[in-house]
Amino acid sequence: MFRHSLSRTITAVTIIGLFLSACASPATPAPTPTPTQPKPIVLTDGLKRTISLPTPAKRVVSMAPSNTEILFAIGAGSQVVGRDEFSDYPVEAKSLPSVGGSYGKYNMEAIVNLQPDLVLATEINTKEQVKTLEDLGLTVYLLPNPTDFDGMYQYLMTVAQLTGHETQASSLIERLKTRVKAVQNKILPLSSRPSVFYELDSTDPNAPYTSGPGTFVNLIIDMAGGFNIGNKLSSPWAQISLEELVVQNPAIILLGDSAYGVSVESVATRTGWSALDAVKNKRVYAFDDNLVSRPGPRLVDGLEQMAKLIHPEVFQ
Amino acid sequence: MRNSFRPYLLNILLLVLAVLLSIAIGAVLIPPGTLVRMLLTKFPGISISANWPETFNVIVYQIRLPHTALVLLTGAALAGSGAAYQGLFRNPLADPYLIGVASGAGLGAVLAMALRWPGTLGGLFSIPAAAFIGALVTVGIVYLMTYSRGAIPNTTLILAGVAVGSFASALTSYLMLQSQGELHRALAWLLGGANMSGWEPVLAALPYVILSLCILAISGHALNVLQFGEEQAQQLGISVQRVKFLLILAATLATAAAISFSGIIGFIGLIVPHLIRILWGPDYRRLISLSILAGASLLLLADLLARVILAPQELPVGIITALAGGPFFLWVLRRSQRNSA
Repeated sequence: MFRHSLSRTITAVTIIGLFLSACASPATPAPTPTPTQPKPIVLTDGLKRTISLPTPAKRVVSMAPSNTEILFAIGAGSQVVGRDEFSDYPVEAKSLPSVGGSYGKYNMEAIVNLQPDLVLATEINTKEQVKTLEDLGLTVYLLPNPTDFDGMYQYLMTVAQLTGHETQASSLIERLKTRVKAVQNKILPLSSRPSVFYELDSTDPNAPYTSGPGTFVNLIIDMAGGFNIGNKLSSPWAQISLEELVVQNPAIILLGDSAYGVSVESVATRTGWSALDAVKNKRVYAFDDNLVSRPGPRLVDGLEQMAKLIHPEVFQ
Repeated sequence: MRNSFRPYLLNILLLVLAVLLSIAIGAVLIPPGTLVRMLLTKFPGISISANWPETFNVIVYQIRLPHTALVLLTGAALAGSGAAYQGLFRNPLADPYLIGVASGAGLGAVLAMALRWPGTLGGLFSIPAAAFIGALVTVGIVYLMTYSRGAIPNTTLILAGVAVGSFASALTSYLMLQSQGELHRALAWLLGGANMSGWEPVLAALPYVILSLCILAISGHALNVLQFGEEQAQQLGISVQRVKFLLILAATLATAAAISFSGIIGFIGLIVPHLIRILWGPDYRRLISLSILAGASLLLLADLLARVILAPQELPVGIITALAGGPFFLWVLRRSQRNSA
């Protein structure tokens, strides 16, 4: 009896002890920078980790096309030493060595061999990949996906801080804001809001995929003075039935899958699609999906192009 | 006597060669001379001044070596389990995934991602652990469904495996569509596994694979007797249901541990035992252990191809095994048709 309660006490004390030691935060005094040394860059990334760089990164590997576009746009293009397979803008990015990315697999050897001091990841990269890179001794910053334009400007600034291009980024952001304001000023007085169907995939023409609520496509169509039919659907990437599409009868159809060989002419040949107003009035247009799916400065290009297609009467 | 060692010698040599090639070749060119010196410095007593870049150390010791070890274990586990199932079910089409272990692992992993299990729950091992548990639970359900009056008829087992496996696959697809934020991660897992590198996956899978493969390797005699039919085997002294249980348990543990980290790789478990059978006969006392060795070598070579064929882009190794496995299997089929005609 006595032994039983003694072992229980020991267990309880051990558990409490472990609990307390886990709770106690180790005191690590922050290093006070000497006046001659530059301040280290300390930021919190998308995985809520604190990343610190002693100096702005000089060798960056970009793990997603949006990151590559951001890096080049803020003037850090010469600091990029490697990029993922899909980075194709700007043209200079294509000549950089690729580190993989198809089938979700990156070539860790190639990344390590480039000796980067910063790997810029996005939400498309898994936690496992981030951990693998960190275990190999690399610094990884995961840039989260913005949900609106202000978020995008903020992340432009984040990348600028990581690479030492704050002034260039500030002026870029100002120029982008001016362009967005110009579009909004032209759209605001208009009374018509045509309905738009943005096609992401039409492998099954009876149930094409479109962008739903919470996507940049949805936001940009709205800012460009249109109404996204996909807004009524329940998920960001959703299928709409052809019947529903005929009921909604969009005034404009944008082919986001034009890069995959879907032509404007082919839409009229699909069974049942010729009943749509957009097809009858020949308001079916090809659209570069990269302009609205990559969360970078080209979103503004996407907004301008979309506004021109939806409201050609105010954009010459 | 000499004859009975030769296949083992050949397979061990092939394995050593495959391991060396796997460490030597990759997207980054490391000259063979440098590689030899890098490996030699690890031996106590030999000191060579390191005149290679530090990144080579990281590439060889933290990327290639653990990756080679993991692929080796996976190939061994899949081929050994495949050979055991082909003997147990007396069916040349049997592979380790016959009774639902792969669908269960997929469901477990995708479920964990859909529920957004924090990566810190046991580290990032939560996904492979969920896959492992999913695999075991699925096979467990299939086994219990089939168990009636102390016996587990083979046909019922396979049918139950197909049914439960299909259900698990359907659930997996549904979950993937519902949790679109994790869709990319789920697809990456199904194609290529946990994508974890370093020694932790190897250490996690090692005990299950080693123990299970030992059990399978010493079951050769029982499997030989089973080929006569279960009633015959029972009368000849093999406790058939107990052997079945042990074989299914061992094969499931090995396969589940392997695919939880490497993803679902097909054809190795199906093809390698056939190759061994053609070359060195159907005696299960040799077949299982030779399949284990050959499976490890062949998967290493397939993985090597997958890494270099489109470098720096890495293909999922399952694509290489399927591309090689399909035509090979047709050839086996035609050969058996000619033999039986």
